[in-house]
Amino acid sequence: MKKVAEYADQIAKCSHCSYCQASCPVFLEDMVESVLPRNRIEVISRSIIDRSMPLSPRALEIIDRCLLCTNCSQMCSSQVPIDEIVVAARAAINEQKGGLSGVKNLVMGKMLKQRGLTAWVGKAGAMAQKVGIAAKDMPPLAAKSFDKFYSGTIKAEGEPRGRVAYFVGCGTNFMFPDTGVATVKVLTRNGIEVIIPEGQVCCGIPSMAEGDLKSAREMVRANVAIFSELAVDAIITDCTSCGMMFKEKFSKMLKTDDPLQERIGALAPRVWEATDYLNSVEITDTPGPLNRSFTYHVPCHRAWSPTVRHAPRQLLTQIPGAEFRELDNPERCCGAAGAFYLEHQELSAGIRSHRAADITENGADLVVTQCPVCRFYIGSALKEAGTEVIHPMIMLARAYGIDGC
Amino acid sequence: MKSLTQDLKRLLSDKQVLSLPEDLMAYASDATHYYANRIPDAVVLPANSEDVGRVMKYASEHDVPVTPRGAGSGLAGGCTPVHGGIVMDMKRMNRLLEIDRDNLTAEVEAGLVLRQFTRSVERQGLFYPPDPQSAAVCTLGGNIATRAGGPRGVKYGTTGNYLLGTEIVLSDGTVIRTGGKMMKQSSGYDITHLMAGSEGTLGIITRANLRLLTLPPVHNTMVISCVSLDQAAELVSAIIASGTVPAMLEFLIKLAIMVMNNYITPPLPLDYEAYLLVDVDGSANQVEEDTRKIKGICHDLGIPDLRIVEDPREAASYWEARSKLYPLMLSIMKRVITEDITVPRNRIPDFVRGVQAIAADIAIQIGLAGHSGDGNMHPTILQPEVNDDINARAKQAIDRIIRLGLDLGGTISGEHGIGLHKQEYLEWEFGPAQVELMKRIKGAFDPKGLLNPGKIWLEGGEAI
Repeated sequence: MKKVAEYADQIAKCSHCSYCQASCPVFLEDMVESVLPRNRIEVISRSIIDRSMPLSPRALEIIDRCLLCTNCSQMCSSQVPIDEIVVAARAAINEQKGGLSGVKNLVMGKMLKQRGLTAWVGKAGAMAQKVGIAAKDMPPLAAKSFDKFYSGTIKAEGEPRGRVAYFVGCGTNFMFPDTGVATVKVLTRNGIEVIIPEGQVCCGIPSMAEGDLKSAREMVRANVAIFSELAVDAIITDCTSCGMMFKEKFSKMLKTDDPLQERIGALAPRVWEATDYLNSVEITDTPGPLNRSFTYHVPCHRAWSPTVRHAPRQLLTQIPGAEFRELDNPERCCGAAGAFYLEHQELSAGIRSHRAADITENGADLVVTQCPVCRFYIGSALKEAGTEVIHPMIMLARAYGIDGC
Repeated sequence: MKSLTQDLKRLLSDKQVLSLPEDLMAYASDATHYYANRIPDAVVLPANSEDVGRVMKYASEHDVPVTPRGAGSGLAGGCTPVHGGIVMDMKRMNRLLEIDRDNLTAEVEAGLVLRQFTRSVERQGLFYPPDPQSAAVCTLGGNIATRAGGPRGVKYGTTGNYLLGTEIVLSDGTVIRTGGKMMKQSSGYDITHLMAGSEGTLGIITRANLRLLTLPPVHNTMVISCVSLDQAAELVSAIIASGTVPAMLEFLIKLAIMVMNNYITPPLPLDYEAYLLVDVDGSANQVEEDTRKIKGICHDLGIPDLRIVEDPREAASYWEARSKLYPLMLSIMKRVITEDITVPRNRIPDFVRGVQAIAADIAIQIGLAGHSGDGNMHPTILQPEVNDDINARAKQAIDRIIRLGLDLGGTISGEHGIGLHKQEYLEWEFGPAQVELMKRIKGAFDPKGLLNPGKIWLEGGEAI
C-alpha cells in the first residue's frame, strides 16, 4: 500500500463518468453523491493530500462510510484503485490521530495475530458491550474452533492426485468450523491431500480495512513465511476475502523492493478459492442426490480470479437433484463487509434488506456463498424465514452424506 | 447562505438538504468536470413533486437559481450550477409507477435509472429502446432533458420519440401535466416535446409517460473490419442507402477497439484501421435477410473481414465495452473531449475525411467513433497532456469540426445537448432569429431566469 499522497495521479484519472453510481452500495443506500467513490477520493485528495480543505468530521465520515467492497474499482474504466486509496487515507488518518482506538487496537493488534485464543469468546463479548453492540448482532463464535478439529496433514482417500495447503481464515476458524470440516472432507474424498500449516495467522484484511497497515504487514510476513515454504500444488482458502489478500494485496502491502516480494510472486499464482480449485481439478467422487433448490450470493471480493465468481454454480450443479436458481443481481453487496456492519448498523442493515428481499423473492431452499461474514450477516436476516445460508463446500459435503455438515 | 439552508430545511426536512462543503463539491459538475466547476449553495433531495413545487415556489420568491440534476453523467456541463443557488437532485424520485401492458406505456418518476427501468420492462417481454451509453446510471428525467440517445438511434430513434407525457413543476412551483397515455395528440402546443431537450431551463420534469415496444425476439451481432476509416464510412452510407436498418451500427477506430479489448473476451485482433459493430434485430427471417444483405454489401465493397459473433455472451461483451468507451479513453489520455455532431447519413464519408484532415492540419489526435447508423459521430479530441498550447489546439479543432458538421447539413448535437459545452456554437446552427425565439420561449416559462441559468446560449461573455 503506497502512501496516500502517492495516489494523487491515480485520483486525477477519475473521469467523473459517475458510473460508480451503479455499483457503490453506500451510494445506493444514502442516495447522495457525497459518498460516491468519485467524491470520496476527491475528499481524500483535498482533505489529506493537498489539504485545501480541513479534515472535517464530514470528510472523516465520507472516508469511513466505505465498505471496501471493491465494486467501484472492479468496474472503473479509468482503473482507479479506489479501495486502496481509501485504505491509504485511513492509514494516514490513524497516523495523524496516533493510532487506533483502544478496542480496535486490541482486536487488530493482538487477537488476530495469534491463533488458538481460548479467551477470544470472553474478550469479544466484553468488547461488544464496550462499543454498545447487541448480542444478536455479534458474530456467532463456535464453541469449538476449527483448529481443534484438524491440524497437520490429512491424507487423501484413495490414490492421491494432488496436495494443497489450506489457509484457514478467521471466519472459518472462529465462526464456522463446519466450512473447514466440509472443505477438508470434500477435498480428501476427491483425492487431494490437505496440509494445515501451523502458525498461520489472520490474512490481515480486518487490519488493512482499519488502515492499521503495521499490523496487517506483520500478518502478511508471517503467512508468507509459512506458506511459501511448502511443496504443494496450491494454496487454498474457503474465503474470497482471504484469497484476495493472498493473491493481490500481499504484494501491495509491502514495498516493491521488499525481499519478500519474490516469495509472494511465487506464492500468489498458486492461490485458489476452494470451490474454484476443485473445479480446476474436477471432482472424481460423484455426489449423491440432494433434492434442494439453491441460489448463490457472489461475495464482493471476487475479482482476483476470473472463475471464482462462477465456481459454486459450476461445482454444485453437478449434484443430482439440486436445482440452481439464479438470484436477481447475484453480485449485489450484502452490507456486512467484515466488521463494517458493527459500526454502521443502520447503513448495513439497509443494504442487507435489498439482498434479503432478492433471496426471498428467489425462493430457493438454500443460499450458498463463500464469504463467512456474508453467510452470517445474510443468514441472520433470513433466520425467521428459515432460509439457510452455507458455504458451497457444505452443500457438496451434504450431497456426499458427510456427517456433521 | 445559512438562511437559505435553514429555509430549505424548514420547507422539506433536515435530511433532504445538503450544505456542507464535502457534500456540495460532489454536485459541482458532470462528466465534463475539467470544463466548468461551480459549487452550489445547497443541494435538495426531493421525495416527490410537492417537495419540488415547494422549493421552486421558494426559489422564485427569493430569486434563487435552481439547477435540476439526474445522475450528473452528462457530457455537456448541463447540470453544472454555474450561478450557484440550489441543485435539485432528482435521484430519490426513482419509482417505476406503472407498466401498462394494455396500452404499451409506462409511467416513471424522473429519477428512475434507465437500466433499472429497462430491466423491469424487458422482464415483461417489452422494450424501451433509447440507450445512452451511461444507461447503468443515467436517469430518465435526464434523458428527457437532453433528448438522449445511443446506438439504437438508427432504427429506434431517441428519447423524444418515446415521450408521451410529462409532469412538470413550473418555475413558480405550479405542477402541470402534459400529454398522457394516448398515442397521439393534436390539441394545443406540444409542451411535452418542448420539454424534451429543454435541459432543465423550462421546468423541472418530475414524471413521464413513455411509449413501449415489444422486445425483438432475435438478434445478430457482427464485427466488420475495414482497411481504412474512409472505407468504414463508405460502408455505413452504403448500408443505409440499401434500405437495411440495423438496430445498431457503430463506427470505431482501432484505438477504440484497443481500449475496449479490456472488456472483450476474447479480445479482437487489431489488424485493421476501422471497425463497424453491427446489431440487427427482429424476427428470425428479418434478421437473416438483413444479415445476408449486409454481407452482400461488404462483399461488393471488398471489405476484408466480417465476423458473426455467435456467442451471446461475447456479443454482450462488445456492447458492454462500447458503453464504457468514453471513460476507457480517459484511462490512456489526460483529457478527452467528445462531440456529438450528427450529419445526414450520406455525408458520413465527407465528415470522416474532413475530421482526419483537421487532425492532420492542427496536429492533434482526434478519435472517431459514433452511432454512425443515425449519422451521429463522436469526434473525440484526445489530449495526452493538458497545457495551454494543446488546449488551444483542441479548441481550434472543435471549432473547425463543428463548422464542418454544419456545412454538411448537420447539427452540433445529436444526443448530448448543448449545456455549457456547445453554447457558443448555438447561433452557428440556428442563426440569431431562431435563438432569439428560443429565448422568448424561455422567458414565457421562466420569466425570472432562475431555471438552470447560463445554459444553451451565451449570456454575453465567456462561460464561467
